[in-house]
Amino acid sequence: MKKLLFLPVLLLLAGCNIRALHPASDTAATLTDLIYLSFGLMMLVFVVVMVLFIYYLRKFREKAYNVHHIPLDTRENKWFEITWTVLPIILLTILAVPTVQATYELTSSSAGNVDEAPQQAVEIQVTGKQFNWRFTYENGKQSMNELVLPVGQKASLRLQSEDVIHSFWVPRLAGKIDVFPGKVTRLSFVPNEKGTYQGKCAEFCGAEHTQMRFDTRVISEGEFQEWLKQE
Amino acid sequence: MNIPFIGEVPSDIVVAWIISILLGGFLFSWVTKAGKWQVIMKYAQTTHHRKIGVMYLLLAVVFFIRGGIDALFIRTQLAVPENDFWVFQSQKYNEVFTTHGTIMIFFVAMPLLIGLMNVALPLQIGANDLAFPYLNAVSFWLFAAGGVIFNMAFFFNAAPNAGWTMYTPLATDTFTTEPNNNYYILGVQVSGLGTIFTAINMIVTIIRLRAPGMKLSRMPLFSWSALITSVLILVAFPVLTIALLLLMFDRLYGTNFFMGEVGDPVYWQHLFWIFGHPEVYIIVLPAFGIFSDIISNFSTKRVYGYTSMVAALALIGLLGFMVWAHHMFTVGLGSMANTFFAITTMLIAVPTGIKVFNWLFTMRKGIVKIRTPMLFALGFIPTFVIGGVTGVMLAVAAADYQYHDSYFVVAHFHYTIIGGTILGSFAGIYYWFPKMTGKMLNEKLGKWHFWLFLIGFHLTFMPQHFAGLNGMPRRVYTYMWEDHIFLLNFVSTIGAFLMGASMLFFIWNIYYTCRFTGGAAADPWNGRTLEWTVGSPAPEHPFEPMPRIDSLDAYWYAKINKKQLPEAEDVRPSPIAVETFQPVLLAGVIGIMSIGFIYGWLWMQIVGAGASLAFFVIRSLTDERKRVYEREEEL
Repeated sequence: MKKLLFLPVLLLLAGCNIRALHPASDTAATLTDLIYLSFGLMMLVFVVVMVLFIYYLRKFREKAYNVHHIPLDTRENKWFEITWTVLPIILLTILAVPTVQATYELTSSSAGNVDEAPQQAVEIQVTGKQFNWRFTYENGKQSMNELVLPVGQKASLRLQSEDVIHSFWVPRLAGKIDVFPGKVTRLSFVPNEKGTYQGKCAEFCGAEHTQMRFDTRVISEGEFQEWLKQE
Repeated sequence: MNIPFIGEVPSDIVVAWIISILLGGFLFSWVTKAGKWQVIMKYAQTTHHRKIGVMYLLLAVVFFIRGGIDALFIRTQLAVPENDFWVFQSQKYNEVFTTHGTIMIFFVAMPLLIGLMNVALPLQIGANDLAFPYLNAVSFWLFAAGGVIFNMAFFFNAAPNAGWTMYTPLATDTFTTEPNNNYYILGVQVSGLGTIFTAINMIVTIIRLRAPGMKLSRMPLFSWSALITSVLILVAFPVLTIALLLLMFDRLYGTNFFMGEVGDPVYWQHLFWIFGHPEVYIIVLPAFGIFSDIISNFSTKRVYGYTSMVAALALIGLLGFMVWAHHMFTVGLGSMANTFFAITTMLIAVPTGIKVFNWLFTMRKGIVKIRTPMLFALGFIPTFVIGGVTGVMLAVAAADYQYHDSYFVVAHFHYTIIGGTILGSFAGIYYWFPKMTGKMLNEKLGKWHFWLFLIGFHLTFMPQHFAGLNGMPRRVYTYMWEDHIFLLNFVSTIGAFLMGASMLFFIWNIYYTCRFTGGAAADPWNGRTLEWTVGSPAPEHPFEPMPRIDSLDAYWYAKINKKQLPEAEDVRPSPIAVETFQPVLLAGVIGIMSIGFIYGWLWMQIVGAGASLAFFVIRSLTDERKRVYEREEEL
């Protein structure tokens, strides 16, 4: 079938560096693993369905000799029905366990108690506003649309909006967290690779939502301290 | 573009006005010349389920073209990086994707399915009409009024622009001050009322008006899906009504439900998705029903696992109410909530899987006849399974932090909605076209339509999964070269135009069939269910005499045993048809009242409300059954 051939071709076209699948932080790596696991399990389901589908379609398609035949009604087979009820449940359980684990692990760092300051982390205030991002560091340094982080150290973000809802997203470093007016949300991750990563607003926020982008620069600890001191 | 006396108007609106006036003039003169005004007047007064169903479908196709043109604008603007196509950037682009989404959900998917239910449901269960024919006409005209209100917005340069989800606080008057989003609220509200009435009508019809002997357990699966969908509508749509009402108060009267000290923007998301997620099943379950009937019909075999099919429908409906917060994983509701909604969402895959395997096993050991309706059903299975498996991937709450609001989600829901609802509606239209018009759509054109649509569809939406994973958020009007998503988007655009081209085949097919072909037989597909016992097109009062039903697919078994369906004696009285302009006028005055609210013109609100109230009074004082009862007593 055409669409089956399509998949690998497109994968090649898209290049082998799809951002969400090339994590540069611990958090993003967890997410990538989950994506691959769920994709693998689901491909299994898809392949089974397709094999049955194509096989039955070829085998039972109307032929010249049986146009006027009337096939016998088949009775339901209890075991078949049990099989395709229980097998998906097993597959889903395999998927659910790491899902619950990862969800608890990552969500507590994004929605946990705001006052409980994490140890050994770079604390940054993130302010979303139509249509830009402002990052404020502990020493009062501010930067617009550019987030600078030291490699190998935990970055702990507190996010808030000044107007509508935005969503903070750096695909290579972490999943999204929504940014609300009048409420603080949190996100933390440890970037483990130097580089510059694209960040975007992922919640539609008005006319220039598209332009609400920023860069995340992950640099070495020394360079970071230098940068913090610069005016 | 600067227009004298009006001022600055975007050029797309000017073009739309010109085209509409030309098209309107052409239609007017054509109708006059062909002497069709009488037919139109007849349809405007009708309460007959088939005619109302046909009107639903016609209007849905018109709106489908509008929503489809929106989609082509979107795809053209996104074809290459940093594009500047016509006017479709910034706010103009936001308007286009907002109207695209809203129209496709509320004014295409819903009426396509409700239209098919109107046409086929009474015929499938042996009812002579829906239980409340007058109310049915009211439903249709309210839907039409809602559609007209919503579509008007564009022509007055005030198309809604906060996305079809209308997230607050963006959708409140603090951030979008113009009347644009009022159009959304009132348009959807008015048509939603019609939908609720339809649900009541369907439920009562199914409970009360089945042919003697047709127990619920002998009802065709499309009728079952209509029943369950109607129950879902009855529970979910009032939530939307309330949400829209609160938003309307926030926008028009300065309340603060969704922002400020006491309000919270997240309340809107909860209300919207408590409606919104069941809505997804509302539009896909009837499609499942259509596919079940069609796959059984064209495999020449009873549907496999009838009982588990019904149970799966009910289970999907029930679970559908327990998953709404999976649209809100990134809101930060906490690990407990995210886990709960992740698990319930995954669970939906189980009944859905049961259905897929039952369809496959219906084909097994049958004789599969590939006609156009069956072709759409066959195209549906792999397409919907792709949409289903990405659905399970999205249910993985943590991973959803990556997928959320990206093109991955866009691809996913187009796979389910187009793969389910739209393919299902096409299948249903080809299948029941003889019952609507007494003619058969052309098979060859139907196949062209199918293949172009399916190939175009996969070309459009398969690449979007990867664009999403590569960091392309939803609802952006452009992207850059360094985003590395150019090829994916370019392929997507090509696919969209293929889909557009396929619709030309469909429309030509309808025109050609209606114009040049002759009458269809009562049972052209060698069918199994009751609608194939009545003439094509279905006459008024089709079941006289009323058949007695003693099994599932009773007509089929009577046919192969070369017998007639036995006649029933204990027949319930049929609903009473009337000819009246009241429903269309009522919808008209409600429309006027809505415009009053949209622009805040108090006098217009009062006039519209007063007139609507007058119609309620008139209706309360009329009982068309009276004259029928009196006549019966005289006899």
